[in-house]
Amino acid sequence: MGLVLWIAPIIAVMLSRVVNNIKSLHIISICTSFIMLLAAGITTKSVMLYETLTYKIFGDAFFIDAVSIIVLDIVIIIGFLVSIYSVGYLNEKLRHNLIKYKKIKFYYSMMYIFMFSMVLALTVNNIGIMWVAIEATTLATAFLVGFNNDENALEAAWKYVIICSVGIAMALVGIIFLHLASINVVSNENALQWNLLYDNAKDLNGSVLRLSFIFILIGFGTKAGLAPMHTWLPDAHSQAPSPISALLSGALLNSAMYATIRILAIVNKNLNDSAFTGRLMIAFGILSIAAAAVFIMTQKDYKRLLAYSSIEHMGIITLAFGIFTPLSIFAGFLHMINHSFTKTMLFLASGNILQKYNTRRISKVRGLLKMLPISGAAFLIGLLAISGTPPFSIFVSEINMFLSIFSAKYYVLGGVFILLLAFIFVGIVITLFKVFFGEPAIDSNIRRGETNKPGAAVLIVLLIIISVTGLYMPKLLKNLITSAQMIIIGG
Amino acid sequence: MEFFFDLLSVLVLLSSFVLVSNKKITAYIKTFQIQSALIALIAGIMGWSIAVNEDKYDILIICVIIIALKVIFIPHLLYKTYGNIEYRVEKDFFMNIPIIVLICCGLVVFSYFSVSNIGSLTGFHINHQVVNSLSVVLIGFFFMISRKKAIGQIIGYLVIENGIFVTAMFSTNGMPFIVDIGIFIDMITAVMIMGIMVTRINKKFESINIDKLSKLKG
Repeated sequence: MGLVLWIAPIIAVMLSRVVNNIKSLHIISICTSFIMLLAAGITTKSVMLYETLTYKIFGDAFFIDAVSIIVLDIVIIIGFLVSIYSVGYLNEKLRHNLIKYKKIKFYYSMMYIFMFSMVLALTVNNIGIMWVAIEATTLATAFLVGFNNDENALEAAWKYVIICSVGIAMALVGIIFLHLASINVVSNENALQWNLLYDNAKDLNGSVLRLSFIFILIGFGTKAGLAPMHTWLPDAHSQAPSPISALLSGALLNSAMYATIRILAIVNKNLNDSAFTGRLMIAFGILSIAAAAVFIMTQKDYKRLLAYSSIEHMGIITLAFGIFTPLSIFAGFLHMINHSFTKTMLFLASGNILQKYNTRRISKVRGLLKMLPISGAAFLIGLLAISGTPPFSIFVSEINMFLSIFSAKYYVLGGVFILLLAFIFVGIVITLFKVFFGEPAIDSNIRRGETNKPGAAVLIVLLIIISVTGLYMPKLLKNLITSAQMIIIGG
Repeated sequence: MEFFFDLLSVLVLLSSFVLVSNKKITAYIKTFQIQSALIALIAGIMGWSIAVNEDKYDILIICVIIIALKVIFIPHLLYKTYGNIEYRVEKDFFMNIPIIVLICCGLVVFSYFSVSNIGSLTGFHINHQVVNSLSVVLIGFFFMISRKKAIGQIIGYLVIENGIFVTAMFSTNGMPFIVDIGIFIDMITAVMIMGIMVTRINKKFESINIDKLSKLKG
């Protein structure tokens, strides 16, 4: 069933090249993502039963375990929601004559190439192929970031392609050193297979492995948007069409983080200690949170604000894996899930706002709740959730983070962390309360009410997800995270 | 055999020095072409000896792909992109060339010291081939930040890829075959996308100087 995950998006790309009317394009997209959703569900079930999922015909190429299934499910669920949202979004753009029919075709084929490369990155065993797939995500989204084709979008797309391609080249150097570290341990035919590297981690060459980890952290860290390599992220995420921003923020950042975590597990098992990797990851994590805090406090553009908030949350996840206690790893995975859903909801809501008000500036948006009752409410609640207000899910994982930091005896770090989160909370709440109240400008000829009906439905679903998981964690999810935690920590 | 590799790795390093001291875009492309030819030669020699000894033809195939892509196709693509852009004489670099060359010498020394700290890479003597090829990667990075034109950045990216490829060749006899193929596919797509973007940037901004791309801040 896992193979459907590879085949479905490819078929979608081919069909959307052939098909010649908009309605069937939408239908193909929704059907494909629904099939992928079903396949992911079945795959999750078999991972729960057998722990790892491989297919004989591919040798060891196809490999899914608890770590990959968590990220994979995030990617596919978000992909499904985004594909529904896109229908309303694109129709609305078409109605205003902002895009032509050809662009929609292009949009869908690129989106499914993007989905395919993310799924590929998450389901392969070979770290080299994983790299190739993650680089392919950059290339697939390059033109999606530049979708609007104006000066700003072009600038963002250029920065995105250059910084990410070069950054990820660093990771390739790291992977070469990883290969070098394993040269007499793993045979040449099986070089770079993750499960073999992980099983034989103790025999790898420690000093080369350390060098390799530095390169890999910088490389995949660029793609995951860690400061100080984050400079492409706010541009790309704010200029891309909103559904694509949601995919970039909710799904792609996690995939890059996933690759880092995989290698982190090998390195820590080899060194028998997390001091070396921990120091690096904690430094990058706290730096990202601090950088994001500064820019969130002074932000004037709401999509950029969300992008900086993504940097913050990637920082938190990096910090969690840097501390590397069972509790912190649990919190890290949980935070990954919670951040993805909350941020997707926010970006999708911001897409409706952008289409309604036609501006990205916070100061120009007034009376949001009257203009867009559902998107406005989702945006308001989402902002409160993303800044860590109870009872939403982000609050739960952040509390777990605090607990894990203090129980690992990083008192100063914990203090700084709480302080920075408080700054971010103030920054988000103060800037955005302006948006919700006040009267919408009367002279404007914008109609009140939601225009993107499927989008509004998606927002409601996401709202339910983030509120429910804040209060109650399904046993299934807990089991999955626990087994992922066991894999990473090497229990 | 080792002698040839030493010689070739030094020549690759030298070609990247030639690259940073070039002034014209056409000269960049030419130098990149020469460097790729040298790399194809390395892959050819290594592939030949492996084919004779172990009866495996992976690296020879890679060598053919390099000649087709990096020596013929990509330079051709870049010339074409450059041809689409209006010709305009502009100063292309942020620093003087002698200073750039000096900094690159510093980068070589830096990679020598970083590699000499790693036990298994050194053994009895430091592996100079790896030092040289890592220096090519670093010089490629520096080349990217020292040039203003968008095409210069594409060349920088390609030089980094070249450096990485040679590092893989010298340290581990190349990556697994399928990974290498994947990397080539990615690289060729990346260069095509960047080429299209350069043309668009030229249309929108009427220049390919990337310091014009400075609207998005904060």
